[in-house]
Amino acid sequence: MENTVEVSHVSKSFNGQSVVRDISFDIASGEVFGLIGPNGAGKTTIIRMLLDIMRPDSGEIRILDAADEIKDMIGYLPEDRGLYRRLTIMDTLMYLGALKNRQSKERTLELLDKMGMLSNRDMKISELSKGMQQKIQIIAAICHDPGFIILDEPFSGLDPVNMKLVKDLIIQLGKEGKTILISTHMMDQVERMCDRILMIHKGSGVLYGSVGEIKSRFGKNTIFLEFEGQLENIAGVKKINYSGNYAELILEEGADAQNVLKNIVSMVRVNKFEISMPSLNEIFIQVVEGS
Amino acid sequence: MTKWMTIAKHEFSYNVRRKEFLFVTFGLPIFMLAIMGIPILLMSVSISHEEYRIGYVDRTGSFEPLNFTGYPDEETARKELLEGKITHFFVIPPDYRSTGKINIFSTNRTLSGTVDDKIRDFMLENLLKGQKIDLVERIKDPMHSEYFILNEKGETGEDGFSALLVSIAFALFFMLSIFTSSNFLLQGVVEEKENRVIEILLSSVSYRELLIGKIFGLGAVGLTQIIVWSMIGAGLLFSNPLVFSILVERMHVSFALLVFALGFFILGFLVFASLMAGVGAVSTTTREGQQMAGIFSIIGAIPLIFSQFILMYPDAILTTALAYFPLTSPITMIMLLSIGEVQFHELMISVLILTFSTLLIIELSVKIFRVSLLMYGKKPTIGEMIKYVRES
Repeated sequence: MENTVEVSHVSKSFNGQSVVRDISFDIASGEVFGLIGPNGAGKTTIIRMLLDIMRPDSGEIRILDAADEIKDMIGYLPEDRGLYRRLTIMDTLMYLGALKNRQSKERTLELLDKMGMLSNRDMKISELSKGMQQKIQIIAAICHDPGFIILDEPFSGLDPVNMKLVKDLIIQLGKEGKTILISTHMMDQVERMCDRILMIHKGSGVLYGSVGEIKSRFGKNTIFLEFEGQLENIAGVKKINYSGNYAELILEEGADAQNVLKNIVSMVRVNKFEISMPSLNEIFIQVVEGS
Repeated sequence: MTKWMTIAKHEFSYNVRRKEFLFVTFGLPIFMLAIMGIPILLMSVSISHEEYRIGYVDRTGSFEPLNFTGYPDEETARKELLEGKITHFFVIPPDYRSTGKINIFSTNRTLSGTVDDKIRDFMLENLLKGQKIDLVERIKDPMHSEYFILNEKGETGEDGFSALLVSIAFALFFMLSIFTSSNFLLQGVVEEKENRVIEILLSSVSYRELLIGKIFGLGAVGLTQIIVWSMIGAGLLFSNPLVFSILVERMHVSFALLVFALGFFILGFLVFASLMAGVGAVSTTTREGQQMAGIFSIIGAIPLIFSQFILMYPDAILTTALAYFPLTSPITMIMLLSIGEVQFHELMISVLILTFSTLLIIELSVKIFRVSLLMYGKKPTIGEMIKYVRES
């Protein structure tokens, strides 16, 4: 498959401080790719270099082979959101579309309709709620029908309903054959959406490959548990990540999941017990702690 | 349409709808008219509604009443004044011929000039009794002066007065327009940095396209302002035939002067706008940007502060320096051009320096833009900026 993006040994530093170190990856055409890592890992700097907003100190970046203006073929949702407060929704979207030389009123109206904002199209940006402004920014990133879409933290600040709306939109864009780069620190949000990921930490790539391949590399040493009650120390469990009535249990090497289940049942009421591969979040923690 | 044109079009339509633009463009002429017009209006109203009835007491025994009322003594005049039969009276003392002194009485404060003029005419007509009427009229209004300047070719040039007036008016309006629109550019850049729109823009266009689009869009805003002011000015002149005819008679603004003035306006705007874009790129807030921009605005205003000196000593070293320094040359040159004190080579040198500086500043601003635009909340030091510009 042809690659939309090829990044080769790219580095960037500010004021002598290295922000991106020798990063290499490629994104195949039609792929949904995840650039994941905690805040400050260097994700946004990589994206800005892809967009030619910044130039790398060393290394090479190649995007698309299109003879057209490359920037016109890219849709971008930046992490730092903002719009012209005094403009109407429609004026904003038409202006940003015109800057891509691919303004389409029809597609813009269609997307507004899909996001449930068609009736608000003549409202000023300043009159919109934060969530609505987020949706407008997402439309602005795709209203010119780009072949390559870069979404930097697309879920931040969204409520669950809008989060689902955006997820569905990304899945649909993926089905349409668009190449999508999702950058996020919310690793679990993207593990079911991305074909492949690049996990970065302090500017360096720590994991790169398909989500399934990476997970299987870390083995089936995780238990996802839904429970009622209070969990104490469990024999055979190395670490517990709590999330309300849910917990992710990381087993010690060689521990038997059946024995762990027996121990748990003696402490709490178990509603769900699933032996699985670790989450990307847990993998990241393991990698970082291991390094 | 190319991308910089799209940006220019957007900047124009976004900024002409700003409250600040509407206030300066339409509010300023109204404000100035009010300041100048209200006293004139009040004066004309008070004159038209109140006819001055003037009396006098002549202690020399040589004055004829003409259209004034003569009183035998001060007591009678005072009584009549207090009863409102007259609005003023004056007393001509016996030693008037040697002192010229008279005392004028009234019941309220009056615009003394009008009454003075009437009394002056009365005195003159009495003093010149027996002389021919045309001589009396000439003495009342002895001269209408018109200045001519000899140039090196031996021909007489136009009177400098009207040009002087035009030069200062041009300089003032152009400066105001340059500062207003380049300030909009500064505000726009800082706003886009503050609300993060800049990143979306830069994902679509290059730094250079963005900067050029902004400069042209806001240049058009400045020109619109000048056109609106000119139209308001022309409208007022045409609506007042008397003032118009005086201006047509006295003003001799050449077409070349207008063309050069417009050229210097455009170059001046380009220099300031590209500077403001650079300032906007390194500023973290609008207020901080305006503080930094203030320094350049003060430098730009120096020719106005020294306007008298420039017009009196067009060949002085200071004047020449101001005419060549890119931040002061647009206004200085407009002033010098309007009094006809510019040699062709001086004009060319100034235009060349200004054009070259504009290109250099645009180039530097693009570099500063590139290195500092995405540094939210952090202002680079001058040392850092020089380093970044060198590196890029």
